[in-house]
Amino acid sequence: MYGWVGKILKINLTSQQAETESTEPYIDKYIGGRGIGVRLVYDHYVPGTDAFDPANPLIFSMGPLTGTAMPSSGRTDVTALSPMSNLRAKSNFGGYWGPEVKYAGFDHIVITGKSEKPCYLWIHDGKAEVRDATHIWGQDTFETQRTIQKELGDPEIKVVCIGPAGENLVRFACLITEVAGAAARTGMGAVMGSKNLKAIAVRGSGKVRVAKPDEMLNLSLDVNREIREHPACKELSNWGVVRFISMMYQLSFFPVGYFEDVHWEDIINNFGGPNYVERFQTKNVGCFACPVRCKNFLCVPEIGKGFTTCEPWSGFTGSVWNLDMDIFWEAITMANRLGLDSTEVSACIGLLMELNHEGIISEKDTDGIAMTRGGKEAILKTIEKVAFREGFGDILADGQKAFAEKIGKDAVEKLDIVKGLAPHPYEFRAYHGSALMQAVGHRGDPLPLRGSLIEFEWHNAPEWFQQVAKAQFGSEEAAIPSSYKGKALAGIISEHNERVADSLGICTWPYTLFIFHDVTKAWQFFQVVTGKDWDIERLLTTAERIRNLERMFDVRQGISRTDDCLPKKFFETPLSRGKYEGAILDRKEFEGMKDDYYKLRGWDIETGIPTREKLVELGLEDVAGQSPGKK
Amino acid sequence: MIKTLIVDAEKCSGCRACESYCALKHEQYCSPSRGRIHVVKWEQEGIFVPTNCMRCEKPACEMVCPRRATYRNFLTGAMQVDAFRCIGCLSCVFACPFGATFVDQDSGSVLKCDLCDGDPTCVKVCPTGALTYEEISKEAYLKIMANADRIPVLVKKAVGED
Repeated sequence: MYGWVGKILKINLTSQQAETESTEPYIDKYIGGRGIGVRLVYDHYVPGTDAFDPANPLIFSMGPLTGTAMPSSGRTDVTALSPMSNLRAKSNFGGYWGPEVKYAGFDHIVITGKSEKPCYLWIHDGKAEVRDATHIWGQDTFETQRTIQKELGDPEIKVVCIGPAGENLVRFACLITEVAGAAARTGMGAVMGSKNLKAIAVRGSGKVRVAKPDEMLNLSLDVNREIREHPACKELSNWGVVRFISMMYQLSFFPVGYFEDVHWEDIINNFGGPNYVERFQTKNVGCFACPVRCKNFLCVPEIGKGFTTCEPWSGFTGSVWNLDMDIFWEAITMANRLGLDSTEVSACIGLLMELNHEGIISEKDTDGIAMTRGGKEAILKTIEKVAFREGFGDILADGQKAFAEKIGKDAVEKLDIVKGLAPHPYEFRAYHGSALMQAVGHRGDPLPLRGSLIEFEWHNAPEWFQQVAKAQFGSEEAAIPSSYKGKALAGIISEHNERVADSLGICTWPYTLFIFHDVTKAWQFFQVVTGKDWDIERLLTTAERIRNLERMFDVRQGISRTDDCLPKKFFETPLSRGKYEGAILDRKEFEGMKDDYYKLRGWDIETGIPTREKLVELGLEDVAGQSPGKK
Repeated sequence: MIKTLIVDAEKCSGCRACESYCALKHEQYCSPSRGRIHVVKWEQEGIFVPTNCMRCEKPACEMVCPRRATYRNFLTGAMQVDAFRCIGCLSCVFACPFGATFVDQDSGSVLKCDLCDGDPTCVKVCPTGALTYEEISKEAYLKIMANADRIPVLVKKAVGED
């Protein structure tokens, strides 16, 4: 086989037995990576099983392009039942771990059961071994990786692991590889912790075979050059995302605090990110074979080294009313070392600050720590207390909702969560396509998607981006933030593109979001690597199948149209200031966008459940049990 | 003047594209461990050191080879291995003072940088400029200039002009 290495590794930690299954039977219908991962979780998860039950399967998925000589081919998709949403979990991380798993001989790893004692997995060249981790339990994610590399005598071993937060079953604990490569969202660290599994160490000397090596090399050299010459790559590889952040605040794309009154002059005028990068960045780093290098590697005396990208830049600044960049860096470093999802933990802190500001809680509710906006203690102590489940952190570790319920009705009213998670931090009152894509998304935080980012980019050159939207999404209005039109199709196309990239095991950033806006390039690589002559339509239809199967997993968990919603704040409280002063979501228009979305998807409008006809059309009749429509 | 591959480790981001493309070019499959270049990484420190043949004037690899399988390609300056003469004793691998002669762990064959016959693939894909292919005299001249550039500044500092 070309591209795929051919085996799915299945490990039961209770019986300590390993077996393998062939990848091949899944390929035609699900490609690989995320797609096969979805099929595996659908088949291996038994409805009714708790997320922390040993039977909850934790699945790591690499795609046919992972670990190839293709730019940005280092991604791994992770799924299980999420302990945050009780729906299908979905998280994705980069770095060097996924390629190494393929060189060790596996496309996927399915982990079930629970070890009696803390353990870690050691996977090398086709073999899997369960090893004792009693002495590593309690170590942070940095130490854990070093300890394992030392113990096994090879510094090139790649490790993905949990920190104390995962061990303590904090529901939004993440997985970490290297210094900050995180499978952050949906609580995969907690699932791993519930299995007494501290880490998975991998090393392989194998290969990924290529069907057309000469064509592959030529294509890859061309694409590599094209990416590097692209302005977005130039920006990201020098600055990461940090210089975009001020713009996003200016355009009310990023909310401030807990989705509070946007347009905080202080952060627009005094966001210290770019300056901090200039002072402390040693270089930009990236994932496997990636020229984009979106991660700022910072070395801050007294606090430490590490890298960051994307959400923490706003999560630990604007979302928690903080302008002190040292606090920002300390918070990130702590979250990474302890193994906490930065997005969720910063939203938790934002919630506490909002509740405190509104007088709903006082320092008595938070172990004597005043949750003042931007307070250093409030930010850093909360991270620590959550990770170690101390005091109020023990309740917050079960999620924002658990904490709010403990406080009372007023606090529950304030919650901004979608499907159990903090939503992606975009301002949905002003950006309506983003609102739709957030609401119908497969998890509480399904963004960023191309159809959403184009609403932000639109401000740079409205007419140009309207033409772009017309060409890609069939409607100029898809690019206009305040419009409710054309958003459903933009969402669907974006969702499909994302699934293609995730299923091939490559990064969505260059291949769907910032450099190439559709999957043509990814498809060309798919052909030369795997030798399969699928046309692009077939890849996209497969993506549609994957999306429908994901939905059916969640339907089996009880989801329906009413769960595709946003917090009521977005419909009731207009923005009071800023560029989008007065913006608000109109509920009728919003529901109308959902109608369009379900209609275009072939889902039942009443329930939001894929119809039997749709599932049959996609070859998914075996999961159509709960579908409306004729039998 | 002859060109050579120059490594500037300070610029390396550790992405291993060089290893990966090198293997594809020479072995027709993807496997960084088959690269004729290898990046030694300290990920938590952000330090990455690409290691590649230094094409020594008196190459240990050539001197220790009992079959004279290692030879210099005078067109490119690369030290290459004649696969027909090589008996796989790995003397060259262990004699290299830089650890820059590699071995295929499965087949036992020696992996040695041939500079892609004067058009190195790794240089084309290195995103940071950590790997360059330059004329030796030009590179040496740039080093001299970079060094000399510091002198006026130091003199000014010394006399308190700054």
